[in-house]
Amino acid sequence: MAAKNGDEKRIRRDGAGGDEDEEEEEENEEVMMEAWERAYADERSWESLQEDESGLLRPLDTASILHAHYRRRLLRRASAPASSRIQKGLIRYLYLVIDLSRAASETDYRPSRMAVVLKGAETFIREFFDQNPLSHIGLVIIKDGVAQRLTDLGGTPDSQIKALMAKRECSGDASLQNALELVCDYLGQVPSYGHREVLILYSSLNTCDPRDIMETIEKCKKDKIRCSVVGLSAEIYICKYICEETGGSYTVALDESHFKELLLEHAPPPAAIAEYAAANLIKMGFPQRGADGVIAICSCHKEAKVGGGYTCPRCKARVCELPTECRLCGLTLVSSPHLARSYHHLFPVTPFNEVTSMPLNKTLRKTPQACFGCQQSLGNQGSNSVLYVSCGKCNQLFCLDCDIYIHESLHNCPGCESQRESRSYDAKA
Amino acid sequence: MKFQIEDVTVYFPYDHIYPEQYQYMLELKRALDARGHCLLEMPTGTGKTAALLSLITSYSLAHPSNPLKLLYCTRTVHEMEKTLAELRRLLPYLPPQTRLLALGLSSRKNLCVNPAALSSPSRDSVDSACRRLTASWVRSLAAERPPGAIETCSFFEAFDQAASGGPDAVMLPPGVYTLQDLRAIGREKGWCPYFLARQLIRYANVVVYSYQYLLDPKVAGVISREMQRECVVVFDEAHNIDNVCIEALSVSVRKQTLDGATRNLNRISQEIDRFKATDAGKLRAEYNRLVEGLAQRGNLPMTDSWLANPALPDDILKEAVPGNIRKAEHFLSVLRRLVQYLKGRLQTEHVETEVPVAFVASVNSHAGIDQKMLKFCYDRLHSLMLTLEITDTDDFLHIQTICDFATLVSTYTRGFSIIIEPFDERMPHIPDPVLQLSCHDASLAINPVFDRFQSVVITSGTLSPIDLYPRLLNFNPVISRSFTMSLTRECICPMVLTRGSDQLPVSTKFDMRSDPGVVRNYGRLLLEMVAAIPDGIVCFFVSYSYMDGIVNSWNEMGILQDVMQHKLVFIETQDVVETTLALDNYRKACDCGRGAVFFSVARGKVAEGIDFDRHYGRLVIMFGVPFQYTLSRILLARLEYLRDTFQIKEGDFLTFDALRQAAQCVGRVIRSKADYGMMIFADKRYSRHDKRSKLPGWILSHLRDAHLNLSTDMALHIAREFLRRMAQPYDKTGGTGKKTLLSQEDLENLTDATLEMF
Repeated sequence: MAAKNGDEKRIRRDGAGGDEDEEEEEENEEVMMEAWERAYADERSWESLQEDESGLLRPLDTASILHAHYRRRLLRRASAPASSRIQKGLIRYLYLVIDLSRAASETDYRPSRMAVVLKGAETFIREFFDQNPLSHIGLVIIKDGVAQRLTDLGGTPDSQIKALMAKRECSGDASLQNALELVCDYLGQVPSYGHREVLILYSSLNTCDPRDIMETIEKCKKDKIRCSVVGLSAEIYICKYICEETGGSYTVALDESHFKELLLEHAPPPAAIAEYAAANLIKMGFPQRGADGVIAICSCHKEAKVGGGYTCPRCKARVCELPTECRLCGLTLVSSPHLARSYHHLFPVTPFNEVTSMPLNKTLRKTPQACFGCQQSLGNQGSNSVLYVSCGKCNQLFCLDCDIYIHESLHNCPGCESQRESRSYDAKA
Repeated sequence: MKFQIEDVTVYFPYDHIYPEQYQYMLELKRALDARGHCLLEMPTGTGKTAALLSLITSYSLAHPSNPLKLLYCTRTVHEMEKTLAELRRLLPYLPPQTRLLALGLSSRKNLCVNPAALSSPSRDSVDSACRRLTASWVRSLAAERPPGAIETCSFFEAFDQAASGGPDAVMLPPGVYTLQDLRAIGREKGWCPYFLARQLIRYANVVVYSYQYLLDPKVAGVISREMQRECVVVFDEAHNIDNVCIEALSVSVRKQTLDGATRNLNRISQEIDRFKATDAGKLRAEYNRLVEGLAQRGNLPMTDSWLANPALPDDILKEAVPGNIRKAEHFLSVLRRLVQYLKGRLQTEHVETEVPVAFVASVNSHAGIDQKMLKFCYDRLHSLMLTLEITDTDDFLHIQTICDFATLVSTYTRGFSIIIEPFDERMPHIPDPVLQLSCHDASLAINPVFDRFQSVVITSGTLSPIDLYPRLLNFNPVISRSFTMSLTRECICPMVLTRGSDQLPVSTKFDMRSDPGVVRNYGRLLLEMVAAIPDGIVCFFVSYSYMDGIVNSWNEMGILQDVMQHKLVFIETQDVVETTLALDNYRKACDCGRGAVFFSVARGKVAEGIDFDRHYGRLVIMFGVPFQYTLSRILLARLEYLRDTFQIKEGDFLTFDALRQAAQCVGRVIRSKADYGMMIFADKRYSRHDKRSKLPGWILSHLRDAHLNLSTDMALHIAREFLRRMAQPYDKTGGTGKKTLLSQEDLENLTDATLEMF
């Protein structure tokens, strides 16, 4: 086991690019913490142990498990819309519904379900705006049998998170129907080009409703609101039913990290169903950044600020950050990189093919391969699982870390891009 | 799909087959080849019915020289319809020239389309309403009188008209006919569906009907008399078959029965007087017939026959009726004396147990009725009622019960006992005298079936331990096997909970059940579970009285109120309507996400016939071991008989019976492989090997050693983990590892060696 761990660490260090070195250091520090310093429940390592048929403990190959997991997700995402040319809803109006009923105080997630959910929500909101700069988010909480709106639909992550963190208590029953009714009312007002979505983080195992919830579900369906649920403890029939009816997805978390993973799956825009949102032209403003040293009254903080900020091209009001809606004239303010960032959702990098390493293959031995991304050698690491992948178009090889980096953050294949460059050079010559 | 099992081409209505289904068919085929009986246990949700139907029809197609007829016995009308629907699915897959006629047969209540008869509330009253319209003398009278003066059933008249052109005239085209289809055809053509079905079963290839039509000699004598030897009889869900057999031959007489019988006798005596005045010739004709020794009136028209003799066909006397009951008045006075004697016996203060021989001797000495007269009671009454042209047979049930009793008690000397109890043991203050003739030997009723038919298949999800059934039913199966379920994921999670959260043992053992600690621990268990498990939970208790007691205590402790915060609570009662309503609302609560708990009783209606699949039952908790009420005289007498005759130890039988009930209860929760559910056996006695090992194999194979001795908190932890794991999306075909769905190609590549793997 010990040798195995050493191996793994080496792989990770080998694979990590220069940028990630710092993170790596931090991680190592965490690992270096003494056993008694770590929280007892954080790492229930005994639970992840697996037995093989004869009852022997199976060594854990976390790196390859992790990667296999990621591959599966990637392929699933790629295969679903692959059949047809897919339209994606880039302008989303999403209400994040958080269940803060009695069930959220349970401590099967550490430190408590509520803390995990709120932390997850925060990460999600940031990631959401990162991926969907043109979208809006609003917050609703369920508590004491009623649903209450915490924030209006808005484009700034910070104000949402601040409002969320102010509510850190849970009590009473949960009512799905009340939440859906409330969200239905508010989402009825959004413009027709926007995609209406609800994401419910549900801790409870039941719902105490005032009336027939089936009617509300019908109403959501009619209003074309896509409802998704992330459950924390077990599969609940009614949640599954809601998601199936409205075209959303229903997932249940296994533990804290799985919860975060499931939550972040909702960040990239979903495939849009044509009739759900009408294609339309939208008015947008591209504000200029104010010069340093200019003093202006900020429209969002209602006080004078020096330097920075952006100026609305229509009414000349100053806003602190983008993207947002102008407080005065209601114009959607974005910057061009935001638009460009949304672009990759439409043309994703195709998933790379797995290359099974063959230790006995002599041709491979002769020509030591290196990852095209980070230039690390792709030598035989002792494990017989998949060790690297290749791009289907340019046939370049990549290591696993680069694979993840390209698909999750870069959204361009370095191999294909450099080919295009060299071709253009050739054309010039 | 189509594949070969040895020399038989099997047509199977699905594209994929489970490996255990294939195995099941293989064993079944071998049993058919050997022309013997077999005993097969396969868990629910693995497509038993589909496998059975497709193999037997295919087998019969492969041997066209002596086609097999399939008699498929189910317990309920609902199961009957399900079986026929499955058969209908199979139909398009059979070769096109196949002529398969399949139909269901049920009582008039389920088949009648005549609004006048159908309005009657109970089964017996529909029967008698039908008879009032169709009895031969009513019809002949109607034919004499002007039309409309006497009411007859237009449906039956039309059918009779058509049937007079020979059996082909009323033959339906090949196909599958459910009860509903038969009713629709009846309405459309104006034919009586019940008699149409009765007519058709002679020619059908597959008949689906209830157990009683084969096992209860009274019904079987009428319905199944003409079935030939070349039949395969299937008893589905047959884990309680021994009880069905016993009930078919048991009679209980209460005070109300005797009072009713007295009223009946008065009615009959009036009728006799009336006939004497108007139509003495009929009585004389009957007398002559009885002299010739025909208790039955030869070949009766189909409408006139009702229930046949309760004794088994081989035991019925084929001689002349004794002289002293040939005359109607004399017979009547014999019956009066018998009723009077029974009334006297019921007035006893103590519990009395007697063997039939002693009882008959006592009847002889006190009432002057000898054994032979008693034996003929049933047939003599039958004949008398026909002669008197009595149609409202439902009013005469009481006197029929008495005659049943008389015939049975005098025919059998072994395997029966008579028990007279002045009051119910559990409520000694309320006098409720009852005289029971109870049969102890299940093999009596089923043996004629084994003898008569080529192959009998007994199958169910719970037949463990499988070696006990052949002893109980006294037959030699050529094949008895238990199959396990091949699963793509561990979708059932049985647990044995022995301790409460305070680590004290829990049990429903007699000396522990009223201990407040145990009651509280059970309550805590339920409370923890309702908070951790979504949608529906089903709880089974060992008896109604225990359930009442524990629910009361929970209410006083405030546990019930806490449970209600998470889920609504519904309770099964002895009232069928109330229970149905509770079940409906339970389902509604599960559907709309409120969540619900259903409290039910092992051996009750719910435990036997209602499925709690999918979200209607994510967890079933079995509180205690459902032993029978061990102080019951009937049970004690049966145990003694089993020990003396079959060498089955009392303890073994009791445990076997309790465990099959428990398995039946928890088996309600999972009805297909895509489903998942948990089972908690909450009693310390389950952890003992002698109890546990009697659970069916498919539960045992998932019962891990680590789950054998749990306390509440550990069980809760396991439950949470299990539910999270089950909520993850999964691949139905089983992916790379174990194959659980075989396609046609897989089957062709299959060798015996690989089959052993499953």
